[in-house]
Amino acid sequence: MATKILLTLYRDEVAPRFDLASEVLLVIVDADNREVRRQELVLAHANADELCDLILDREVDVLITGGMEEEHYHYLRWKRLTVLDGVAGLAEEALARFLRGELESGDILFPRGQHA
Amino acid sequence: MYGQRFPPGGTNVENDTMTSRAPSAAFTGLAAASLDQADLARILLALPFGVAVLDRERRMLFMNGVLERLTGFASAEVSGVPCRHVLRGSFCLHACPRVACAKSGDPACGGESLEGTLINRHRRKVPVRLTSVPVLDAAGALLCSLDVIEDLSALKELEARLTRTAGPGAIVGRCSVMEHLLRILPAVAASDSTVLLTGESGTGKDLLAEALHRASPRARESFVRVNATPMPEALLDVELFGQAGGAGEQNAPRPGKFQLAQNGTLYLSEIADMPLAQQGRLLRLLDEKAVVPAGGERPMRLNVRVVAATGRDPEALVKAGLLREDLFHRLNAVRLHLPPVRERGEDVQFLLTHFLGLYAAKFRKQVLGFSEAAVALLSAYDYPGNVRELRNIVEYAVMVCPGELVGPEHLPPYLRSAPAEVHGDDPVVKTAAERAKHSRKKA
Repeated sequence: MATKILLTLYRDEVAPRFDLASEVLLVIVDADNREVRRQELVLAHANADELCDLILDREVDVLITGGMEEEHYHYLRWKRLTVLDGVAGLAEEALARFLRGELESGDILFPRGQHA
Repeated sequence: MYGQRFPPGGTNVENDTMTSRAPSAAFTGLAAASLDQADLARILLALPFGVAVLDRERRMLFMNGVLERLTGFASAEVSGVPCRHVLRGSFCLHACPRVACAKSGDPACGGESLEGTLINRHRRKVPVRLTSVPVLDAAGALLCSLDVIEDLSALKELEARLTRTAGPGAIVGRCSVMEHLLRILPAVAASDSTVLLTGESGTGKDLLAEALHRASPRARESFVRVNATPMPEALLDVELFGQAGGAGEQNAPRPGKFQLAQNGTLYLSEIADMPLAQQGRLLRLLDEKAVVPAGGERPMRLNVRVVAATGRDPEALVKAGLLREDLFHRLNAVRLHLPPVRERGEDVQFLLTHFLGLYAAKFRKQVLGFSEAAVALLSAYDYPGNVRELRNIVEYAVMVCPGELVGPEHLPPYLRSAPAEVHGDDPVVKTAAERAKHSRKKA
C-alpha cells in the first residue's frame, strides 16, 4: 500500500516553521518504501490553515515539518495523520531517516557540538 | 567626574564624605576591569532577557537560561544548529537582520528591533521582539552576533486588554442617532462629568454605562452598579454610604457602594427609585466629594464618577416630586438618550443580523439569515421590550431553527399571531442572508 509523505521546505531544509512554509515536497512510496513519485509544490503564500487543507485534499499520510502550533498539530493528528514535527535538518536526510524508520518528532539532524 | 573634588563651601557632611573616599584610578577601558577576559557566557546567563550568541554562519554558539526556557531547547543540544531551527522566529526566513546586513556588505549594520513570533518546542507561539547586535573585531570584521529576544506575551496581553477596554463594548447601531451616540461616547467617557442616561427599558442603558466606564480613564478601577430597590431608608443608607465601625465584631466598619466604587464609576440604574432623603445625600456627595458613613462623624473623601439612569422622563419625575430638581440639574451635566427600537428604523435589520451571527456562533449552528416572511414579521413588530426583546427573539429563533434560514415558524408564537405583509424583493433581506453566507465562507 502506498504512503504519501509531505515535507515542508525551506530551500533544501525542512522548513523551520509549518505556518511559514511556502514550498512542500510530496513523496509517494510503495509498500516496500521505494519512492514511486515525487512532486514539489510552490504555494501561493504561507498559511497554516491552507496548508492543512492541502494536506487533507492530497490525502497525505505523513507530515514531516519543523515547529508547528499545537492547534494544527492536534488537528492533523485528529485527522489520523502521522505528524513528525520539530524536525531540524536537510529534507532529503529527514526523508531517508523516516523511510528507515529512524525519524521522530523533535529530531535535530544538523551536525552539532562543534561550537560548544 | 571620578577624582573630582567639591569646592569648599559645600556642607560638612558632603565634604566629609567626599574627602574620605579613596582617589579613583584612571579609566583605562575594558582591560582595567579585566572585562576583556570575562566569562561572557556566565554574564549572559544572568541577564533577564533571552540572549543567543551566533557564529558568522548564524549557528548557535550559546543561549542563556531565559532563552532556553523560552524556546524549550537546552543550549548544549542545539550548539551548531542554524538559529532559524532553534528560534523558529517569524522573522527568520524572510527578514533575518543578519542576512540583510550580509547582503548589504555592512557587517556593522543592525541593532534595530523586529517584532514577531516564535514557536517553541512545546508548540506554543510566543510574541517576541528580536534585536540582533553584531560583535566586531578591531578591524570591523564580524566575530559573532548577539541576538536579544524579549518575550512580549505579557505586553501583548495587556495591549489586548486595553484595546478591549477602550472599545465601545457591546453597543451596536447603524442609525443616525446611535452613530452619533457612539461617536461622542469616547469624549464623554474621557471627561469626568456626571452623566444621565435616559431611555426605555431594554434600550441598553446598563451597557452604555459600562461602555462609558470601560472607555474612561477609570477603566481599571471598579464599576459598581446600584439598584435603589425599595428597602428601609436606614438600610439603604448603609448600603450606599457605608457604616462606620463601632465596638465589637458585629459593628465592624462596612463599606458602602460609594466606597467600593472609590476611584471608579458608580452606576445608579434607576435614579427615581432612590428615596428623596438619599437623593439629598447623593447631591451633597456630588458637591462635596465626601461622605459620612452611617453612624460615623468624620467625612470620608471620595473620588467617584456617577452615572445615573432612568427609564422615565426626568422632567416629569421632577414635576411629580420623585426626583429632586437640584439633583436632576447636577446629574444632567451630560445627558445621553437611547432611542427605542421602534425609532431606530433601519437598525432593526442590522440588529437582527448582528444577534443572529452571535447566537449562531454561540450555539454552533449554521443559521445564515432570515426568510423574507420572517423579516417581514420582525420588521412589522414594534418591540416594546426594545433591544433586549429583539435579542431574546433572535436567540429563540436560532435555537429552534434546524436549517440555514429562520422562518416565521421559528419565531415566538406571539409574533406570528399578527401576520405582516411580505416584501418579496426587500433588498435588506437578501443582503443580510448574503452577508451571513459570505462571512461563513470566509470562516
